[in-house]
Amino acid sequence: LRAEDKVTVHFVNRDGEKITVQGNTGDSLLDVVIDKNLDFDGFGACEGTLACSTCHLIFEKDVYKQLGPITDEEMDMLDLAYGLTDTSRLGCQICLSKSLDGMTVKVPESVSDVRQSVDVGTTTS
Amino acid sequence: MTIMSLLTNALHAYGRKKALERESIHLLLRAAGFHELPKLSASQSLEVPAAGERVLPEMFTPPQDAAEKQTRVKPLREMPGPSTISNLIEFFYRDGFSRIHEIQLKHTHQYGKIFKSRFGPQLVVSVADKDMVAQVLRAEGRAPQRANMESWKEYRDMRGRATGLISAEGEDWLKMRSALRQRIMRPRDVAVFSDDVNGVVADLIKRIHALRSQDGAGQTVMNVNDLYFKYAMEGVACILYETRLGCLQEEIPKQSLEYIAALHLMFSMFKTTMYAGAIPKWLRPIIPKPWNEFCRSWDGLFKFSQIHVDKKLSEIKSQLAAGKEIKGGLLTQLLVGKEMTLEEIYANMTEMLLAGVDTTSFTLSWSTYLLAKHPHVQQAVYEEVVNNLGHDQVPVAEDITRLPLIRGLVKETLRLFPVLPGNGRVTQQDLVVGGYHIPKGTQLALCHYSTSLDAECFPSSTEFHPARWVRKDSSDHVDNFGSIPFGYGIRSCIGKRIAELEMHLALAQLLQKFRIEESPYTKTVTAKTHGLLTPAAPINVRFVDRQ
Ligand code: HEM
Repeated sequence: LRAEDKVTVHFVNRDGEKITVQGNTGDSLLDVVIDKNLDFDGFGACEGTLACSTCHLIFEKDVYKQLGPITDEEMDMLDLAYGLTDTSRLGCQICLSKSLDGMTVKVPESVSDVRQSVDVGTTTS
Repeated sequence: MTIMSLLTNALHAYGRKKALERESIHLLLRAAGFHELPKLSASQSLEVPAAGERVLPEMFTPPQDAAEKQTRVKPLREMPGPSTISNLIEFFYRDGFSRIHEIQLKHTHQYGKIFKSRFGPQLVVSVADKDMVAQVLRAEGRAPQRANMESWKEYRDMRGRATGLISAEGEDWLKMRSALRQRIMRPRDVAVFSDDVNGVVADLIKRIHALRSQDGAGQTVMNVNDLYFKYAMEGVACILYETRLGCLQEEIPKQSLEYIAALHLMFSMFKTTMYAGAIPKWLRPIIPKPWNEFCRSWDGLFKFSQIHVDKKLSEIKSQLAAGKEIKGGLLTQLLVGKEMTLEEIYANMTEMLLAGVDTTSFTLSWSTYLLAKHPHVQQAVYEEVVNNLGHDQVPVAEDITRLPLIRGLVKETLRLFPVLPGNGRVTQQDLVVGGYHIPKGTQLALCHYSTSLDAECFPSSTEFHPARWVRKDSSDHVDNFGSIPFGYGIRSCIGKRIAELEMHLALAQLLQKFRIEESPYTKTVTAKTHGLLTPAAPINVRFVDRQ
């Protein structure tokens, strides 16, 4: 692949760390997370088949507006996403294009983070 | 966020809900006619607790000291619920198995949104709150478990059969799930079946013409579920087996008739196996019938799918021998691919067909019933369809995007009549739910029927209102864990998109062609549980030509 087919994406993980990777145009953000072995616990559980919302990502406002149209099925799954925001989409539905080069996407806090804290709560009380 | 504040928040939210609960009960009580709701009385909610156990309904317990509430995670022992004895009487003596959905509401009202009950040796923790259901499903690991599938496994071991998606567990399940979801879960992968399904819809419409003419000018079709059963079977088979079965013909082929008999047997003995589930294995020589019937109906189901799989396999072999390129749908791909063994393909075809027929047909029956009972709603959905497609354009999957009321109709039908009124999960780790410590390995019952009809989740919850599902725009989101009729997450219904396609295309075309009306034969029909939530009596309605 030529360099111009590469798109740079900055992920901000659940600890607030920035991870910068390059993906191929046409790949979905879920593909990128898998290809690059990014370790976001529980991310993309249903392998992009629109049965869960674990690949939920939060976009910057102006980037969000540029993202392709959203299907009914994606909207239904977003209804069930944890920590939904106004600029949330499912990573499996967003394909990389040159115009998205350099965008920053945030991985929202997951339920398992909350779960961990509650577990800790049980043992310390 | 600190641990403390998280717990406090959760508990506060829970407290607020409790306060609202009394009100929603009244709403439910006032709801008239349309839905037969359990008759609740004040005295019932104060059932005498069994000796030694504190089972005072939660709503009657005085508020605890706030500080204690924040820190203490209560043990399962303290969870309220019906006593073992009253549960036994409810289920075995008062035939609770056919009223599981109503008992769900009744117990939720009596004991709160999380309660425990015992079925013989089995402890079940019921969860009837949308946030708690969400919490449980979001906490799932990589291979969630629904329930103990021992009897299904035992049959399969005995006959040397494999397990399919419903009965498999762990890595076995995950392997098959991965293969299948890549083919039938994505909406776009299923949209390509539009033409096949429309072929079946055309037969359905022909069949309606034939059946209603039996009533002369009355135009009533008796027991629409019988018709939709055949439609659903034909529809799912045309996708799964890439073949037509002829269920909607005047004369149904013998093989298909035999299969329908096996399916009916499986269905009719559901209750027997429920009772049997509480009977230990060593009692089988004394009470052999349930187990024997169970095996006999599985034999019938496996036999049928094996016939169709083997037929496809020999077609493929002869094409290969002739040096032809192999092209085809789901079954062909599975047979050519290497992800599953032949036995696994048999098992999955069997289990998918079993799961895909009654579910879809009951939903279509309820939709039809609700449309007949609510002519104004029907008019609105009809107008949306003809404004977009006229009376003659045959819709395909892509057109459904422009028909939000058709999607709303199916969602609203499944909210009022969730085919699976409850679902199960066995916890795979310790959890804290609703303030209680739930140990790993606990059987949970997710009470979808209760949350679906909860006025906190859905205002005017007993009213039929498909428009409630129509979004103002793409930013209009609602937390819908109250109604997840196909489940949520990696173990949710694998046939969801197939079922939606079958239902959307059929309903849109039925509305293009017919006005669905009440007739003198139309009775008020309530729901009963028979494994699935089914119409308790036949639904008879008129199909009147639109043009
Ligand atoms: C209105 C129609 C249907 C409804 C409401 C429905 C509902 C459900 C529900 C609630 C579950 C359990 C999900 C969970 O545990 O989270 C399920 C599982 C399942 N359904 Fe459906 N279903 C429908 C149609 C179909 C069809 C058409 C098929 C056939 C392709 C099908 C095949 C299955 C299978 C194989 C499972 C087990 C999945 C697994 O354990 O991995 N269903 N369904």
